[in-house]
Amino acid sequence: MTKKGLKEPLTAITICGVGMGSSLILRMTAEKAFEELGVKAKVVATDVGSARSMQPDIIIGQAMHTEEFEGVAPVIVSITNFTDHQALKEKLAEPLRQQGWME
Amino acid sequence: MEVLKNILLFLANNIFNEVGILIGLITLVGLLLQRKPIEELIAGALRATIGIYILTIGTNIFVGGLVSFQTIVSNAFGLTPPEATNTLGDFLGSHGGTIALVITVAFFLHIIAVGIFKTDYVYLTGHLMFWISVLVTAALVEQFGSLGQWALVLPGSIIVACYWTIQPLYLAPLMRKIIGSNDWGMGHTGSTSYFIGGKLGKLVGSKEKHDTEKLSLPKQLGFFKDVNVSTALVIGIIMLISMAFADQGVLAEQAAGYNADIHPWVWGIVSALRFAAGIAILLFGVRMFLAEIVPAFKGISDKVLPGTRPALDVPTVFPYAPTAVMLGFLSAIVVFLITMIIFASIGWFVLVPSMIMLFFIPAGAAVFGNATGGWRGAVLAGGLAGLFLAIGQAITWPMLSSTAPELATLADPDWYILAWLISLLNIPFAGMNPSAGIWIVTGLIVVIFAILLVILKRTVSRVEEEPAGEAPFSREETSPPTEGDLG
Repeated sequence: MTKKGLKEPLTAITICGVGMGSSLILRMTAEKAFEELGVKAKVVATDVGSARSMQPDIIIGQAMHTEEFEGVAPVIVSITNFTDHQALKEKLAEPLRQQGWME
Repeated sequence: MEVLKNILLFLANNIFNEVGILIGLITLVGLLLQRKPIEELIAGALRATIGIYILTIGTNIFVGGLVSFQTIVSNAFGLTPPEATNTLGDFLGSHGGTIALVITVAFFLHIIAVGIFKTDYVYLTGHLMFWISVLVTAALVEQFGSLGQWALVLPGSIIVACYWTIQPLYLAPLMRKIIGSNDWGMGHTGSTSYFIGGKLGKLVGSKEKHDTEKLSLPKQLGFFKDVNVSTALVIGIIMLISMAFADQGVLAEQAAGYNADIHPWVWGIVSALRFAAGIAILLFGVRMFLAEIVPAFKGISDKVLPGTRPALDVPTVFPYAPTAVMLGFLSAIVVFLITMIIFASIGWFVLVPSMIMLFFIPAGAAVFGNATGGWRGAVLAGGLAGLFLAIGQAITWPMLSSTAPELATLADPDWYILAWLISLLNIPFAGMNPSAGIWIVTGLIVVIFAILLVILKRTVSRVEEEPAGEAPFSREETSPPTEGDLG
């Protein structure tokens, strides 16, 4: 378990209504955030329907969607700005440490 | 000479006319430019190619469901279904290569235009880059169908590139009002409805007095945000109601075409579900090739034009007014369904309520309407967007009936505007040699966009000269709604 995020990549998904536009931009923002945090993660962009079957470690999206995913993944992060990787880093750091996925 | 000609002919038929392979190669180049390792090159190119074929398969299922829907609903109103001599699926097969080239060439022209005219915004909403290229190609083929692939690519690319360059720019002042910064622009083909929403909103209310985010809507409405669910539900309900009024003989015949033993009413439900499934497959395919191509586009623009801002998909503004999103959608669906009954009753057109555009466009328009006119602005903006989508579909279907009429049912407002522009501008030159006509129409469109650019550059520079303190919001002030407010 403790190796996850450090050696083994985490699975993170970014979500939006249809899984094509804003979730893809969010994927690139998230990839940058994980890289700067030094966390290994494979990020996939998808829609709210498919996301339920994917059993990810982390779900990132706007609150309108993430609030319907409570309990689906250990870490769920709600964002407002899809391009701000600094803000996302700050939101990710605490829960990632709690899960033991980040030093 | 003969050998060279044969090679070129082979390339034309097997590479440039085979959209999956062409997209795969374009993706390969994009990944190479990003210096990705070899295993990612191969996997990425293959994923993009497979995505295109999935898209084509989904399109065929969607078109099948659409035809069933139009047949039954038309029959219930005593009308003939809208005419079509070609389908979107066939059009993607015959002109897919042209579309792939238009999207690629247009992106580079767009990058050049942003660099030269310093317009600041790089368009990165991948699926709409694809669809607007499909739409412009279809509208050009309708007018200048006798022209070959290469004669269509450059005019199509120029029109698309002009559009991508201007669209985020003209929404920039309203975007600043919504997100409180210049971090990103709006790159979405619903821009006409967003602009109308933002401009008319302030006439009916004010953000301070009537902010949508002070309201709360029932949580049960949330399932409409899953477009697969809402598509199946709304199409299914309309289908069932129409079946009660339709000729039972026609119904039985349609059902028998699917499965000889199925009960016609169950067939009706199956058709609605297949319509939704077709759209879900189509979107899955688009998602697969975009996931490879958009990062390449972003990588290129970051490198060539550092400091520019991305123009992004409409849901990026939804966190700033999530209640407006639902309010706009509800307003639009009511207006659209009423319009559907009116249009069918007067025998004009049987509208198809495609839930994707009926969700995203009015939702976005309502966020813009709320920014200037609160909930009153949101309801007005959403309703007007629904009306625009209804009228647009009825007018545009016959304009595209010999290429890809289904585009009219999937379209956003700007698709309609561009299709109308291309058709209308060609009216005076209809008798002309098409290879001259296409350039006259393209030239006129460039002139229109150039005039817009001059006007916009003036207003934008005026806004930017204002001292920062007088801006309607500074970044810190527009703290996003906390989670408790969302709903």
